[in-house]
Amino acid sequence: MSGNPGSFQDWFRQDRLPHIYCTGCGNGTVINCTLKAVDSMGWTPEDTVFISGIGCSSRAPGYIVTDSLHTTHGRAIPFATGVKLSRPDLHVVVFTGDGDLAAIGGNHFIHACRRNIDLTVVCMNNYIYGMTGGQGSPCTPLGSVSTTTPYGCSEPPFDLSELAVAAGANHVARWTSYHVRELTRAVQDGLETPGFSLIEAVVQCPTGYGRKNKLREAQAMVDWMRDHAVLIKKWRRMEEEGTPLPPDRFPVGEFVRRSRPAMGVPK
Amino acid sequence: MKLIIDETRCKGCNLCTLVCPYSIFQEGTTPNRRGVVVPVLDRPERCTNCRLQKLYGRVLCGVCQMICPDQAIRWVDEKPYEPQKVVIEY
Ligand SMILES: Cc1ncc(C[n+]2csc(CCOP(=O)(O)OP(=O)(O)O)c2C)c(N)n1
Ligand code: SF4
Ligand code: SF4
Ligand code: SF4
Repeated sequence: MSGNPGSFQDWFRQDRLPHIYCTGCGNGTVINCTLKAVDSMGWTPEDTVFISGIGCSSRAPGYIVTDSLHTTHGRAIPFATGVKLSRPDLHVVVFTGDGDLAAIGGNHFIHACRRNIDLTVVCMNNYIYGMTGGQGSPCTPLGSVSTTTPYGCSEPPFDLSELAVAAGANHVARWTSYHVRELTRAVQDGLETPGFSLIEAVVQCPTGYGRKNKLREAQAMVDWMRDHAVLIKKWRRMEEEGTPLPPDRFPVGEFVRRSRPAMGVPK
Repeated sequence: MKLIIDETRCKGCNLCTLVCPYSIFQEGTTPNRRGVVVPVLDRPERCTNCRLQKLYGRVLCGVCQMICPDQAIRWVDEKPYEPQKVVIEY
């Protein structure tokens, strides 16, 4: 399957397309990048499993030809851990959202990082609960409007990537749905790294987030991500120099790649 | 190779118009039967991938296909093969 041009498209269940995502939703782009990375690994649908919880992002495995588990809200990682520990020979990839991963699934997430289980987790971070109508999530930026923060969010958000680094994951990277090449490369790095890997993909949710935050068109949010992403090397240099970090910008790139002891790695 | 937009999948988000280095994708103006305003292609034969995919045996550039959230962009074989005269702008 690998090698032929555009063959990542063969991983889609063509009979299920077009998918249910709204016009311009970034989730579709992240699925493209993930499947392209999986395809370049030379893996086959028979030895690859996609697992997800609940949310728009979590519907992704339903559009892929491999075996998959669409589980309960927040519990994708426990199910994936079970699959990986009983069948370490399988390649296990998790699709999740910021709500699924960091709110209801927060504890599972940090402990999977600590145990360093050999999974690749692709989190589509749209700053919001998309599926249930745009409620605030633990990743909603300060000041952003959602249905549960009508006057602007007053709680500081989680930085998912920094959280995964602190909790012990072997590989952590963040890109956006604008950075398609870099995102594909980062997912592939995650697939290649033994141990836990988090790829945080910042995506546009024009319906739940954009509409309320002056980014109504998908293009506007993609432009915003392109203009506000700062390469991590530059970000760290600014930190060292004591340059004030602009609050509306965020770092992208590889946060860590290391080889702490991992669980579930095939012998 | 020929670049096509699959009208049965495109939802008209215009993300492709944002990324093509040659501005081949242009915002459309008229809705199709499904009510979707599909982008129009401006001289698609200028696309790097249309011209060179066969020669290199892999996708070149391809960012429009990667960013399209609805898997609506692809290349099809043109038969019979017609050589095209292409003027490339820099
Ligand atoms: C136990 C449980 N609690 C709450 C819900 C309702 N629910 C469904 S999806 C969702 C949030 C999804 O947000 P996120 O994970 O960020 O995914 P998105 O839809 O934004 O991609 C919630 C709270 C549920 N399905 N199950
Ligand atoms: S609600 Fe948001 S996340 Fe869900 S499909 Fe629509 S745009 Fe995508
Ligand atoms: S492959 Fe590149 S050059 Fe060709 S149409 Fe797509 S974005 Fe434009
Ligand atoms: S990116 Fe895809 S879905 Fe969006 S307008 Fe272009 S072809 Fe249509």
